[in-house]
Amino acid sequence: MKSAIQIDDLSYTHPGSDFRALEHVSLAAPSGQSIALLGPSGAGKTTLLTLLDGRLRGWRGRASVLGAPLDPDHPPARARRPDTGFVFQEFALVERSSVLRNVLNGRLGRMSPLRAVLWRPTSRDFELARSALADCGIADLAERRVDSLSGGQRQRVAIARCLAQEPRLVLADEPISNLDPARATEILTLLTGAARARGATVMFSSHQPDLARRFADRILGMRDGRIAFDVAVNELSETATAELYREAGIPSGTGLRAVS
Amino acid sequence: MRSRGLGSFAAGVLIAGAILWSFLTTDVELSRLLSAGPRIADFLGRMVPPDPTVMNEIVKGSAETLRIAILGSLGAVFLSVPLGILASETMVSSVVFRPVRTLLALIRAVPLILVAMLMVGAVGLGPLPGIIAVAIHATGMLAKFYAEAIDSVSHAPIAALESAGAGPLARLRHAIWPQMAPVVARDTIFRFELNLRESLILGIVGAGGIGFYIQTYVRSFQYDKAASVTLAVIAMVITIEAINVALRRRFA
Repeated sequence: MKSAIQIDDLSYTHPGSDFRALEHVSLAAPSGQSIALLGPSGAGKTTLLTLLDGRLRGWRGRASVLGAPLDPDHPPARARRPDTGFVFQEFALVERSSVLRNVLNGRLGRMSPLRAVLWRPTSRDFELARSALADCGIADLAERRVDSLSGGQRQRVAIARCLAQEPRLVLADEPISNLDPARATEILTLLTGAARARGATVMFSSHQPDLARRFADRILGMRDGRIAFDVAVNELSETATAELYREAGIPSGTGLRAVS
Repeated sequence: MRSRGLGSFAAGVLIAGAILWSFLTTDVELSRLLSAGPRIADFLGRMVPPDPTVMNEIVKGSAETLRIAILGSLGAVFLSVPLGILASETMVSSVVFRPVRTLLALIRAVPLILVAMLMVGAVGLGPLPGIIAVAIHATGMLAKFYAEAIDSVSHAPIAALESAGAGPLARLRHAIWPQMAPVVARDTIFRFELNLRESLILGIVGAGGIGFYIQTYVRSFQYDKAASVTLAVIAMVITIEAINVALRRRFA
């Protein structure tokens, strides 16, 4: 099977500090897998996801995503960016724009630069945006402004935007941290289901081991910038999870922001 | 908390001292206020009924004031876009934005009427010095507002569009501008309202507009005509404020 993620000995220190967000992280993931990242706040989950999305500079090691290497000094080529979709923790939507417009923003990387600037989505862009909205169960909200939506609805818009991008790898940074348990289950069902239906690889970070177990094939435990364990879902032990969150207190749901 | 008590005592002494000093040193004789009562009544009495025959002057003056406010605001917008960018923390380095912000603070510190007097001296009487004065004076505030609008843009949507593969121009157009536009529109309208209010008095220093007639009628003791012009000014201020309130609701 082709590999979706191949990283080797990755290290990263935040500029202007000696805080090591990632230390010697290695990982290989075949395409089609659903991977959950567990670990306390500050473990390096957001940093790792941001790096895989090609938005982090100045790291050391080797990384390639969907068969193409990432450059620690330069962002990936524009044509490659839409292949990796990212679901942001705080949704990262344009608040005053409509739901449809936000989802169409996910198509900007697939449009020609001129179309993107002048805002001339093709009928295919509209088609994909509409079908992403339908998949996320929010087709009826298309014309609503984002700032009038609830947290759960916003997360669906954020996922729809990511799906409209037609990604082959979906990275989700704590997609359920702002949601109640019922909403959280719905969102993870949606995210992993939609990715599976499209044959995409998923990696999501979470503070909820139970839900991670339900929706992932593989669990990565991170602590202090290192991978503490890397197991198939049926091999995850209670002690390993407990050890991961030792002295971490109550999971706060706020991961370290790698990029300000 | 001893130092805090001392501080408020010192502040109290300072305020009391300032008030006493003001009474002592200027020519403030409260007795004059008493004898002035009948004169004030006479003055007000001569304002009623307002003389409606100055309608032509009112229309002409109001139109000129409106033109000064519109063109002055337009000039301020043109000056504020580049200066706002140069005053924003996110667009340029502190080597640039600090001096630009200081310059804007200095501009704000000079009252409009003073700028207008200088401009009358520089370009002569009429609405032109008024327009230039409004443009310069308003830029001090508007450029600062624009800089704040740029700096208050949330970075998350920009990162999201970058992640989706949008280029820098597309990010500016679809992630930055939609966040800025309502703030910029609201601030510009607010500043236009201030420009209109403040330009009403420009005529007093010969910088054009309806203020010229107020001054002329008061100086020639035609208080009934001055009253008509004053009523027109009040009507204009209320109207522009009502329009502004309605518009602001749209940009909320």
